Amino acid sequence: MKIKTLWLLACIACVAIPAHARVKLVALPERARVVVSLAHPDATLVEEERILTLQKGVNKVDFSWAGVNIDPGSIQVRMLTRPDKVLVLNTSYPPNENALVWEISSPAAQEERVRISYLLSGLNRDIVYKAVAEPDEKAMTLRNYLRLRNDSGEDLTDAEIGIGYGADFKKTIAAGEILEMQSEKIELMPVRKILTWDAAAQPWDPEYEKKTVGIPLSYVFTNSVAGKLGQHTLLPGKARIFIRTGDNVAFTGEDWVQLTPVDREAKLFIGQSRDVKVTQRKVREDKQNMRRNTGNAVVLWDTDEEIKIEIENFKKDDVSLVIIEHIPGYWKPVKSSHEFVKTDAFTIEYRLTLPKESSGTKKTTVTLNYNRLNVQGNEPASY
Amino acid sequence: MGRTSSSNPVVGRGEPPARPRRCAPTDEPAARPYRRIGAFLLLWFIAVSASNARINVVTLPGRDTVQLTIYNSADLTLVKETRHLTFRKGLNKLEFSWANTLIDPTSVEFRALTHADAVEVLDVSFPPRVTNTLEWRIQSEFAGEVVCEIRYFTSGITWSADYVAEADKAEKLMALAGNVRVTNNSGEDYENAQVRLVVGVIRLVEEIRQLALQNGRRDERAKDKNEVEVKELFVVAGVPFKMKIAEAENRPREIIKEGMSEYFLYTVEGRDTIPTGWAKQLPSFRTNAVPIVSYYKFEKEQWNDAVIRFYKFTNDKPSHLGDEPLPDGDVKAFRVVSPDQLLNFVGATSVKYIPIGETVELELGEDREVLVQPTLMDWQKTGLHFDQWGNVDGWTIKEQWQFEVQNSKDIDVVLDVRRNFEGDWDIESRQKFEKVDASKVKFVLPLKSREKQKFSYELTTRYGTNVTK
Repeated sequence: MKIKTLWLLACIACVAIPAHARVKLVALPERARVVVSLAHPDATLVEEERILTLQKGVNKVDFSWAGVNIDPGSIQVRMLTRPDKVLVLNTSYPPNENALVWEISSPAAQEERVRISYLLSGLNRDIVYKAVAEPDEKAMTLRNYLRLRNDSGEDLTDAEIGIGYGADFKKTIAAGEILEMQSEKIELMPVRKILTWDAAAQPWDPEYEKKTVGIPLSYVFTNSVAGKLGQHTLLPGKARIFIRTGDNVAFTGEDWVQLTPVDREAKLFIGQSRDVKVTQRKVREDKQNMRRNTGNAVVLWDTDEEIKIEIENFKKDDVSLVIIEHIPGYWKPVKSSHEFVKTDAFTIEYRLTLPKESSGTKKTTVTLNYNRLNVQGNEPASY
Repeated sequence: MGRTSSSNPVVGRGEPPARPRRCAPTDEPAARPYRRIGAFLLLWFIAVSASNARINVVTLPGRDTVQLTIYNSADLTLVKETRHLTFRKGLNKLEFSWANTLIDPTSVEFRALTHADAVEVLDVSFPPRVTNTLEWRIQSEFAGEVVCEIRYFTSGITWSADYVAEADKAEKLMALAGNVRVTNNSGEDYENAQVRLVVGVIRLVEEIRQLALQNGRRDERAKDKNEVEVKELFVVAGVPFKMKIAEAENRPREIIKEGMSEYFLYTVEGRDTIPTGWAKQLPSFRTNAVPIVSYYKFEKEQWNDAVIRFYKFTNDKPSHLGDEPLPDGDVKAFRVVSPDQLLNFVGATSVKYIPIGETVELELGEDREVLVQPTLMDWQKTGLHFDQWGNVDGWTIKEQWQFEVQNSKDIDVVLDVRRNFEGDWDIESRQKFEKVDASKVKFVLPLKSREKQKFSYELTTRYGTNVTK
């Protein structure tokens, strides 16, 4: 144990001992309870309870530490048994020492349960997710773990560890130890498997690629009650995804879970699908309504543009595919073969379900005709 | 400073006065680890004329009282000490010297508190080749014991305020406790001192520490002190040091607060000993049930995409505060999360000086449980205007912005979304908003626990010749 509470057997008569004499008389009370709060993402609050045996009068209690990184300005002591009668008179900080001395007055010789709290560095936490998808990839079982690395230098015995939601853990974690605890298990939560083809990130014409173009594959689930979640914000952490194969599982990929508030979707990009082929071409890009200045230079124009997206699904199952298109500046749609969702001023999404084995003549073809208006060549593509 | 019992004459010519050996008070441990030298006094009577000799006799009447007035806006402490000195009728010389402390020599002053009409300081001199020493020539029309005050500035003693805020689970009320911490790095132990703390900003044209380290050797002080006349040697018996042991009390010291001019003075009840190198924290006040608003702000230009949490409260009587301005200091904020009063850490911040009546916000860092997601949903370029050469010289941009806001917390909050615009702009929204200044608006939305809302606005910005204002 690196943190010590020294109880100076000092009653009123001992006040004449200068505080800086630093006479440590008795070392003692063990912790009666330790509570560790990890609710703050960047700070660990430790609250420990000890039972002090106080003399009548003024007692000096020396709190010192070594080999642990405590924020000295955060250390507080509170009386639990008789908070109105047992009072902290002052706190003294000796030079060049990791220590402080409380002067505590007690109206009688008695035991007092006190709670000492401080911010401790070095107790690092990670959130880890492990998910096993069902073979049909429509549900998965999610386990949520808290992984603690105790680099604080302090052994935490029978500590009640809370992360701000769910039940606390009561664990012992020694200095240097890594401890992983399961905090949640959600059985068979609904999940959607989605491929995402982004026109800004993927090659438009696979014919010119030397390798088969993979389309990013994601599992999407909603942090909602309907999604068997929705009790708290999902904290960021690494997710490893497996798929059940009979009695066994196979690893399918991993991604970082982003901070996901309740009722919002989490999207885990776990790999690529090469059984879906997307070919996009701009089949028309004409300038119209051109306006010239007196020097005959074109200073303003509109466009008439059309894109054609051909999609082939070689899989034996239907596939959900999201096509993302980016159109900069001021634009208006003229005609679209499919419905789309405008997600911001310069972005639209086609959310398609591709029939199984829809290749060749059965392929899906999306066309979009739009005009860009009042173009000067300096339009924003994003904000 | 403690007394010394040494009375050994040390005789020399033009040499620095010997550093007196300081004896610990009888009620201190003999092997005291700290050893500081403070000011000491040497009083003698001028008996010999036209001599350059400096005959130093160490006789130290101990301090009877010490008062420290510590400023927090500058590295400055006013030390006021009283001592009993015995004067003879006629010319008396009084030497005051110190070592290893940070006293500003230019600030040391002497005055008689008793028989003040009969005791007059004729001049003060800083002897050559002697460090940290000054001499007063004092004309006394009274023979006998006089209570004197010596006053000087020192650096190295500082004080600061810090606060602990504990919000209740609903974040509607908080307990606020203020502490003051005095840190003594002056090189001097001030024992049983009355401590006064000044809240306010004073002006210093020179740093006290610098003056102390320069030893007060400023040109206007560099006088020839070779005219010292020692007529008679008289050893003044040290006045027994009336070390007043601080009475142990079963309650924290009260800190009495009073306003003066532009300052506020905190006087710590009783007396304190703060050895050099040590710091001491004393509770200043504690009040429960201060109403707070859990206030969240979003302003991209300030914090990018983060939503920042604030506790907002007012330093006034209805808030169970308002007795005094709150000095600037560090704040640590917690939230009670369980019936047995266990806490979560909310954040740490610094708070500015808070006058009585002011509403302040404690900035406690990012809170990821409140979400603000702005999206530009539509962008149009219209209103084109052309100059005589056919070039575009005026245009208007219309932007349609949509905001999704979400409170994932288990408490109600208030969200303040601020947007900054440039140029000739107009905004339209069904959501109530307030124009903060010429380039900023704010939307203030109360959000219930787990509530989501959407609001939107249309921004029109005119450029070039379309500008109207």
